[in-house]
Amino acid sequence: MQDTIELLEAIGRDASLRHASADELTSMLAQAQAPEALTAAVASGDSSRLAEELGHKPMYSPQSSQTGHEDDELDDADEDPHPAQDPEDAKL
Amino acid sequence: MNTPSLLSPTNARAGSLACVGMGMTLGSHLTPLARSHIEQADVVFAGLSDSLVEMWLQRMHPDVRSLQSYYREGKSRMKTYRQWVELMMTEVRAGKRVCGVFYGHPGIFAWSPHKVIEVARAEGFAAHMEPGISAEDCLYADLGIDPGRFGCQHFEASQLLLFERRIDPTGYLVLWQVGLVGDRSTARFKTGPAYRQLLVDLLSRDYPLDHEVIIYRGATLPIQQPRIIRVALRDLPEAPLTAEETVVLPPARTLQPNLAMQERLDALDRQAEVDALA
Repeated sequence: MQDTIELLEAIGRDASLRHASADELTSMLAQAQAPEALTAAVASGDSSRLAEELGHKPMYSPQSSQTGHEDDELDDADEDPHPAQDPEDAKL
Repeated sequence: MNTPSLLSPTNARAGSLACVGMGMTLGSHLTPLARSHIEQADVVFAGLSDSLVEMWLQRMHPDVRSLQSYYREGKSRMKTYRQWVELMMTEVRAGKRVCGVFYGHPGIFAWSPHKVIEVARAEGFAAHMEPGISAEDCLYADLGIDPGRFGCQHFEASQLLLFERRIDPTGYLVLWQVGLVGDRSTARFKTGPAYRQLLVDLLSRDYPLDHEVIIYRGATLPIQQPRIIRVALRDLPEAPLTAEETVVLPPARTLQPNLAMQERLDALDRQAEVDALA
């Protein structure tokens, strides 16, 4: 049985699945005995809770705004260069 | 994993760097070459925007190090990006084959991949970038826009507020990171309606307030559809926006012929005909 990540990759690389309807995908996932959270995400069109159910935290969108700050001086004194992972720190 | 390479690297120094793009949609966009870089690396650093995509990357290599934890609310993003450069360079200097994996295209709206390649090359290491399918690429496909038809300007939204720029309303205008517009600290992850109102005030010099603008976000997961919302320019401040959403303004005016240049072209054509007959 494939897990959620394997199934997402399979959908993403398959021309007949990538743009299939929610009904078609739900049917395929049922046949594949997909994890319930993935099937629910497809059926509802809401994938926002999928990552949470897989135990991962929300993430910042990297490489955001930089205009006018490329030459800012780096002040290392007030920053821990190796902060511990803290899920509460991260939000979109 | 550990797919044998046909060629051994011939670096002036041990250690190398490749910055590759993951594309935007899980499973759909990763190029064979980018995947090969990931699989052949000794260590992989991940600058991705979706935890599921990061989990997918972790299936490709046993040593994937997320760069996410270096972000912090209230901390300058430039400081974070410099830390990323140092993290990657530390491994390159240790003689490792390093792969930096970034969502979309690694060189678009991405300071650290360009910087770390510059630093690595300056220190004598082999370093290069492999392109990826970017949010801009997806935008053209999903919105049916051809940038060659009327032309297309791209700006980070804050740049329009902070600097004197010339907007051409006869072409498309694509504004990136409108959700962060006006953040001069680079330490926040969103601003708000009052900041976006300043942007609308500026845009209203070139566009009517009832001009339709498109708020766009591409699909990150292959079970998602792109998010496309159309609002009037005047309503942009109150529209829900994150840093991942892009704002597109279609042309507001028709192209104006440049009669002076057309006359000069006519003259050149006439001269060419004369020369051909001579």
